[in-house]
Amino acid sequence: MIGCYDFCGHYEWTFGWFERTGGHPLVRAYWDEAINQDSQTHARDLIKAEGIPGMLKYWGHTLLEESPELGFTISHQKDVFRIDFHQCPSRGFLLRNDLKNYSDYCDHCMGWTGPMMKSCGYQIDHEHNHRGQCWWEIRPAGTPGGHSAAGAVAGDKDARLLPNWQAPGAKLDRYVKANDPDQKTP
Amino acid sequence: MANPTPGSLPYTDTKPVGSADFYFAINSTFRFILRKLGREAWIRYLQDMGRDYYAPVNRQWLTGGLPAVAGYWRAFFAAEPGGEVEVKLLPDRVELHVKVCPLIKHLRAHGRVPIPEFCQHCYHLGSARAAATGLTMRLCGGDGACTHTYALPVAQLPPQDPKQIKENAP
Repeated sequence: MIGCYDFCGHYEWTFGWFERTGGHPLVRAYWDEAINQDSQTHARDLIKAEGIPGMLKYWGHTLLEESPELGFTISHQKDVFRIDFHQCPSRGFLLRNDLKNYSDYCDHCMGWTGPMMKSCGYQIDHEHNHRGQCWWEIRPAGTPGGHSAAGAVAGDKDARLLPNWQAPGAKLDRYVKANDPDQKTP
Repeated sequence: MANPTPGSLPYTDTKPVGSADFYFAINSTFRFILRKLGREAWIRYLQDMGRDYYAPVNRQWLTGGLPAVAGYWRAFFAAEPGGEVEVKLLPDRVELHVKVCPLIKHLRAHGRVPIPEFCQHCYHLGSARAAATGLTMRLCGGDGACTHTYALPVAQLPPQDPKQIKENAP
């Protein structure tokens, strides 16, 4: 049986299997069709119906289950929902267990939440450093703003204020008003 | 169920049990592969995973024999939420008596429909892992309750009868 305890391990392994089997288009299709449109329909339904309060309900529940040590912070203001990960439970599992079968595991989050947020009318500003630290700001499409100043939304919980945010070896991927995992900007 | 043997799981997390909502994604992954790539590719996916991702487990089984197999499964089910499983270590085999499958239970409790072939995944994955360690794997039952057997060659288990693996009801 495939288990949920080490889910992030075989999930990451699966990305690599898809890439070897059908290339990048198959990996993208997997994130969108299997995860966004099938597995996580409860997230999409909640956010479509309730907007930012729906995001609070969905990530409040799911992150508490995945990260009972609270390696994350959720904050929100009018027209912006924000998550800061100081210790991503998913990426952290891979780093602790030295697992790597796919080129960039962190892309999977934008791979499924990007299309989901697009279908719900939202866009995403985001950065991750591949070391289990990242931040997300989600706003209604067309809303001004994005990449708020460090601390402006999350206060001292802003991941960009962590001393090791840009530690040696930490490569930042950056997204601006994005809904697609390939919309990274240098 | 007996306490898991420390160190029986090759990949470990900081939390004691997994998040059951990940079971949704496992079911969706299978559905995606079957729809996009077909049944043979799905079986190949499971066999590749059994040989590659589970290689550290297979090495434990190869060196530790049946006690390592039993220890792994005890630790495995202790970390899966909501199951009821008895692991029996016998002279020539390990039997897993799954009275309540945590995965099927969670899917059904949340209105998710397991793919009809869902329970076959345990056979294709398990038999690939067994083959890598000189064991034979057989499966009987499904759709929420089943028995897995991991046996030494001396047990001379009859070939797997596909009809012994139940399809999942819609």
